[in-house]
Amino acid sequence: MTATAPGTDGGPVDRRHHVSDYFRLERWEIPPTDGSGRPSGVGGRAPVDDHLRGPGGGLRTGALLTSIDSLGGLLSGLTVLPRWIVTTSLLATVSRLAHVGPLRLEGEVLRRGRNSVVSTVDVVDEGEGGRHVAAATLTCAVLDAEGMELAFDRPFALPLPPLQQGAPAPDEFFCIEPGEGATTRLVLADRLRNPWGILHGGGVAMLADEAACRAARAADPGAAGPRGVAAADTVLHYLRPVRVGPAEARCEVLGTHGGRTLVRVAVHDLGAGDRLVSLGSVVVLAV
Amino acid sequence: MPFDDYPPPQHLLGDLGMEAEITTETTARVRTRATHHVAAADGGVRAGVLATLVDVVGGAIAARVLRPDWLATADLTLQVAGPVAGPWVEARGSVVRRGRTTLVIEALVVSVEEDGTDALVDGRPAGPVAWASMTFAVLPARNPSSSVQAAGGLPVRWAFSGGSLEGSVLEALPVTVEDAAEGRVTVPVRPYLWNSFQAVQGGVMALVAEAAAAAALGAARGLPPTAMVVTDLQIAYLALGRVGPITSRVRILETGPTGRAGAMVELRDPGAEDRLTTVVNVGAVPAGEVAR
Repeated sequence: MTATAPGTDGGPVDRRHHVSDYFRLERWEIPPTDGSGRPSGVGGRAPVDDHLRGPGGGLRTGALLTSIDSLGGLLSGLTVLPRWIVTTSLLATVSRLAHVGPLRLEGEVLRRGRNSVVSTVDVVDEGEGGRHVAAATLTCAVLDAEGMELAFDRPFALPLPPLQQGAPAPDEFFCIEPGEGATTRLVLADRLRNPWGILHGGGVAMLADEAACRAARAADPGAAGPRGVAAADTVLHYLRPVRVGPAEARCEVLGTHGGRTLVRVAVHDLGAGDRLVSLGSVVVLAV
Repeated sequence: MPFDDYPPPQHLLGDLGMEAEITTETTARVRTRATHHVAAADGGVRAGVLATLVDVVGGAIAARVLRPDWLATADLTLQVAGPVAGPWVEARGSVVRRGRTTLVIEALVVSVEEDGTDALVDGRPAGPVAWASMTFAVLPARNPSSSVQAAGGLPVRWAFSGGSLEGSVLEALPVTVEDAAEGRVTVPVRPYLWNSFQAVQGGVMALVAEAAAAAALGAARGLPPTAMVVTDLQIAYLALGRVGPITSRVRILETGPTGRAGAMVELRDPGAEDRLTTVVNVGAVPAGEVAR
């Protein structure tokens, strides 16, 4: 797997940063200052650019989960160097859909084991007095880096990426095909592969968001609010990598309870024998 | 699972009267009665009890699939999807993926009649009560030949026998609310609540988190804890709760005058250097708004 791929404008993009650059996620390491020997934390900040906003008024949940995954992945990876990680589960509670921005993310390792790292990422809206936006728990599996370049200047810092003029909306960026109903597809463009050569976890999160909203609308068009529907709390188990594509999300609307619609989402890799690659659930709200 | 001397004669799982059946090599079902002792404020079954049911069905499947290795629940999520429509609720679990170090299981919770058939509403099958997922960490067997996990040592059908609840399940634990506004509740560590590692069972941790979040979110709205209905639990199990009393700390994530509310609950073990054992993200709504 080469380190670069053709971007949306044909120019080369760095697989390590391509997705977080699109979401303009600034990240920095926070070394411990108390001499406790515990792992570094990681902070982050991302503006809420207009093209990233969804019907809820703020950053779309799939986009929010992508940034949480990027920051939590970096946090977990730094903790296990010279080995590295892949995300195996992402559990996110989204407390607010409307954001002013920028959003500030703070990640902390909860548990480092031999085979896995559990971390938490908290998101607040700096533009609204630090109001809470989301809380997530990530579990990452620890892997051998297999030749991946893992040279970091410590403490690590990645500056705010510039705004890309004419940047597409997240569903278009992640090559999600237009449509409606219970099934939604994502075409695996080469630039969406991470340094492992597989679909970036954010692609799965964005696909789950879009697919669940389409399924909820199709199941009950009357359930939408004036601005439609929006994804909120999300559970994603990354079971296997998406290697070939397209990735197809198959949704089942399980019910509407407590003002929210619960959608089960199963993602399959059509080009890899239709195998199940991710499973989870998305809470869809009328907005 | 009933292995050797687990669970002991006086145990929560016995008082909940759970009945379990292995249906294939990779699936199982476990049911419990939807009595008023386990009811939430909306008349449904408490999310923490559903989580206990799900943990048992997941553990039953995992114990078979992983033998002679053993297991520990790493995470558990549960989301309520609809009302309870029968005298029993049944969790039906199945393996999603078996990896080298982890096993992922999903479970659908449904309403069933006395004879085990799916409950009907207006002549049609009732909708699901909840959806759940679990990740189990695989713990390699140290001495497989002497393990309770030896081939043939696992039953296909069993009931957790014992007493029955004489009051609310929270009173049986018992959960003590120390400070509702802070969401500080405690539960002692005792054999009644043990898992097979002689630490607090994962479903009990869910019940404690549910109680803590409901207390804090209710207090924030000027309501009693019993007025809030927990609909969502996202649980990460970090360490065993062995000493106790297990004590909660709650951070409210969002609460307004009406509608959904969220909280993050930490469960710590003060008797073990205040170790963080469990982190739970909780979603809830007031009972009067559940049907919306």
